[in-house]
Amino acid sequence: MTEQNAEQAAKAEAKSLPRVSPATDILEREDGFYVYMDIPGVRREDLKIDINENELQVTGRAMQGAAEKERFLEVQFGPGEYLRAVSLSDLVDREHIKATLKDGVLVVHLPRLEKAAPRRITIQSA
Amino acid sequence: MVLDFNTLYSFPGRFDRMFEEFFKPQLADGRRMAYPPLNLSEDEGAYYVRSEVPGLPMEALELTLTDKSLVIKGERPTEQGKYFRQERPAGFFQRIVALNVPVDRDGVRATLVDGVLTVVLPKCEECKPRKISIEVA
Repeated sequence: MTEQNAEQAAKAEAKSLPRVSPATDILEREDGFYVYMDIPGVRREDLKIDINENELQVTGRAMQGAAEKERFLEVQFGPGEYLRAVSLSDLVDREHIKATLKDGVLVVHLPRLEKAAPRRITIQSA
Repeated sequence: MVLDFNTLYSFPGRFDRMFEEFFKPQLADGRRMAYPPLNLSEDEGAYYVRSEVPGLPMEALELTLTDKSLVIKGERPTEQGKYFRQERPAGFFQRIVALNVPVDRDGVRATLVDGVLTVVLPKCEECKPRKISIEVA
């Protein structure tokens, strides 16, 4: 029960944070597709990447920790929950997707599926 | 009818985004468009300047402290490839924070964690308000 409560509390907390759609670049290179997302302030342990069917979903929470006693004079960014879904092409090899997080930028590499070698189907006579 | 949406193109997401952007209050603020966004705060001992500069290592950032201002300069690189979507800003940026307060110039420190730059400007000891006892002659 307590676990459930904690879960609910966590959910409520997540809901109270403003949802932000991170700026995303999607580009193609010879070795596949690359997705770049700006998610400053998100630590690796606060970032989740899920693949459901044809969608790659990225969720991350940036807390922007500030001490209690600080008085803000100007606020142009703040804590938030980054949420973004990218649909995946059928050309993507789902088993070899790689993600790296560096300096607040998430890079997801979606390699192309190796094309199945063409083969001839032998016809069996009945 | 065949609707051939590019598989990397999320169609329903577009409407969501439109609504979200419409109801986003901070967009009404013109300064929101200044890049990179800055947070300024202070506590008893120091002033803090925080900024979101994702994708840049510390070496690519140029911080200059002049008499009356702190200048944050840098350039965001562009990735090579065939773009399907480009939302991340690229190119040179600069922001100037006017410092109309005395700070301890030698104690200024800057850290960069997960794309968030934090500059701590300690308030100088001599400038803190203090009591002066007046002796009666």
